[in-house]
Amino acid sequence: MSKLNDRVFGLLMLVLAVAYYYGATQFPAPFGGMEAVGPDTFPKLLAVILGICSLYMMVKPDPDNAWPEGKTFLELGIAVATLVVYAFLMEPLGFILSTTLAVGTLCWRMGARPSRAYLTGLISGAVVFVLFTYGLELPLPAGLLEMN
Amino acid sequence: METLHYLSIGFGVALQPENLLFALMGCFIGTLIGALPGLGPANGVAILIPLAFTLGLKPETALIMLTAVYAGAMYGGRISSILLNIPGDEPAMMTCLDGYPMARQGKAAEALAISAIASCMGSLIATIGLILLAPILARFALTFGPAEYFALFVLAFATLGGITGKNPMKTLMAAALGLIIATMGIDLSTGTQRYTFGILELYEGVDFIIAIVGLFAVSELLFFIEDKAGIGRAMIKVNPLKLNWREIRSILPTTVRGGVLGFIAGVLPGAGASLGSFISYTLEKKILGKKGNFGEGDPRGVAAPEAGNNGASSGALVPMLTLGVPGSGTTAVLLAMLVSLNITPGPMMFTQHADLVWGVIAALLVGNIMLLLLNIPMVGVFVKILSVPPMFLLPIVTMVAFVGIYSISHSVFDLSFMIGFGVAGYVLRKLEVPLVPVILGLLLGPEMEKNLRHSMQISDGDWSILWSSNLSIGLWLIAIIGLLLPVVVGPILRRRMQAAQSRTDG
Repeated sequence: MSKLNDRVFGLLMLVLAVAYYYGATQFPAPFGGMEAVGPDTFPKLLAVILGICSLYMMVKPDPDNAWPEGKTFLELGIAVATLVVYAFLMEPLGFILSTTLAVGTLCWRMGARPSRAYLTGLISGAVVFVLFTYGLELPLPAGLLEMN
Repeated sequence: METLHYLSIGFGVALQPENLLFALMGCFIGTLIGALPGLGPANGVAILIPLAFTLGLKPETALIMLTAVYAGAMYGGRISSILLNIPGDEPAMMTCLDGYPMARQGKAAEALAISAIASCMGSLIATIGLILLAPILARFALTFGPAEYFALFVLAFATLGGITGKNPMKTLMAAALGLIIATMGIDLSTGTQRYTFGILELYEGVDFIIAIVGLFAVSELLFFIEDKAGIGRAMIKVNPLKLNWREIRSILPTTVRGGVLGFIAGVLPGAGASLGSFISYTLEKKILGKKGNFGEGDPRGVAAPEAGNNGASSGALVPMLTLGVPGSGTTAVLLAMLVSLNITPGPMMFTQHADLVWGVIAALLVGNIMLLLLNIPMVGVFVKILSVPPMFLLPIVTMVAFVGIYSISHSVFDLSFMIGFGVAGYVLRKLEVPLVPVILGLLLGPEMEKNLRHSMQISDGDWSILWSSNLSIGLWLIAIIGLLLPVVVGPILRRRMQAAQSRTDG
């Protein structure tokens, strides 16, 4: 069984620890002179701990969990992309439309039939929109559906 | 007597109509969250925090609701254990052992009812324990200086992985990561910008609510997609309930033992609800020996772990309320709620916010009665909702998480940050780096640094002040033991838990 995951992650964390420590040395001296514990003391301490842990991880790695491959990886990518697009479309498209798209796509990719998936998205989006905007008076963006 | 006085104040708060209503809502939502496989209590409470926050609820109301969710989730976990043989959350694992066989013998309703009664008993016993122990511990904690607090925080991180945790170094690493994220933003005592990279949104630091929701909710969605668990599993039908008084009485001694053991496991650092239910199940098996048919649907095998895990969940509130140091994921999330409501957790809470603390404790008692009433006659409703496949439920839950974060700040930046945390959470879970220490680090980071600063100011830069009193030496020792114990005892305990689990699967 391969133990590459922990080694690679340990290395990344070691790089982070070093960069983080270096960052702490670059803080400007605080106004009023140095104290026993300046803004850099705690970060430096943390960088050392993280460094030790990452070294341990590289020396004594645990066996890997398998990463998703091929189609599953693609599905995960689609899910993350859907969420990102959802976040950025929420204001321009409005809550109901963007939710229909996002929830619908997620349901569909998780195995629901497209028609039922997008219907679920539309209904849940509309219900939450009404509940928030009128019930709780926390307006959500209406976007394209805005009526003036 | 002082305690009784405070408790009556607490009931005064908990019995206000508004608080009762939100407690009921919390109980209902909590049971639902607990019942859905994969949506654990920490996850559920995390999603609800932004909502409670934006609703502008009073602190006590918000905390009462979320505590009710927490208690309810512990009840809900058993439903999927019994009907699906999948634990709704980790502590409900032991309930599968006898609950599922009972359900297969056509006694699903009885198993559900017995476990509800056991849950209620366990939780009530532990809440009484909480009422007795918490004020004493809070008074004791008032003697802590900054150095002791610093050691206490270290202890919290060291024991967080739990005795059953796999790799203590990964727990430590996760804690360091959380603390590192917490240092981003403007340093409160000197005004120095730290790791903001000139990005305006980072000046105030990373909002831990965004991190929590991302780490839990979004990464859960990704795991469901990877496991292709969207369709759900076949569920056992619930029969009409036939339960007589004699059967209830026969499980009472079991629930009392389970509740007490669970409470102890909950209070102790590093034990938690999973261990609580495990210990009470194994002890019950030892005590009753051949008189019971454990593993084949013994009602007491359902009652023991349920009393244990509910007892532990109330017990876990003791360190959270008295020391401000949570011992489990869900109590960490509850602490996040307190911090975001501008309430400084810790022993002072018992004097400064007595109505809040005692209101929550009283609400715990009231909530458990509500939960019992909800869970026996209305179990059918929960079963119906459970039969909706995850492929519809999880996207909707994710959407609710989005709405919650969006309504706090109306910021797309925050939403993308949340997604980023979700992906990071997924990667960390794959690498078996636990997420709870990350969150605890985020939460406790500022307090921890403040206490370090204060102790250094007292000693004028002498680091040995951190281990100069007997109390702090004791805390450091427990922390070290907490880190070393999992390496020694962990493998044995985990093997036993797995052995018990695989016997029913096979």
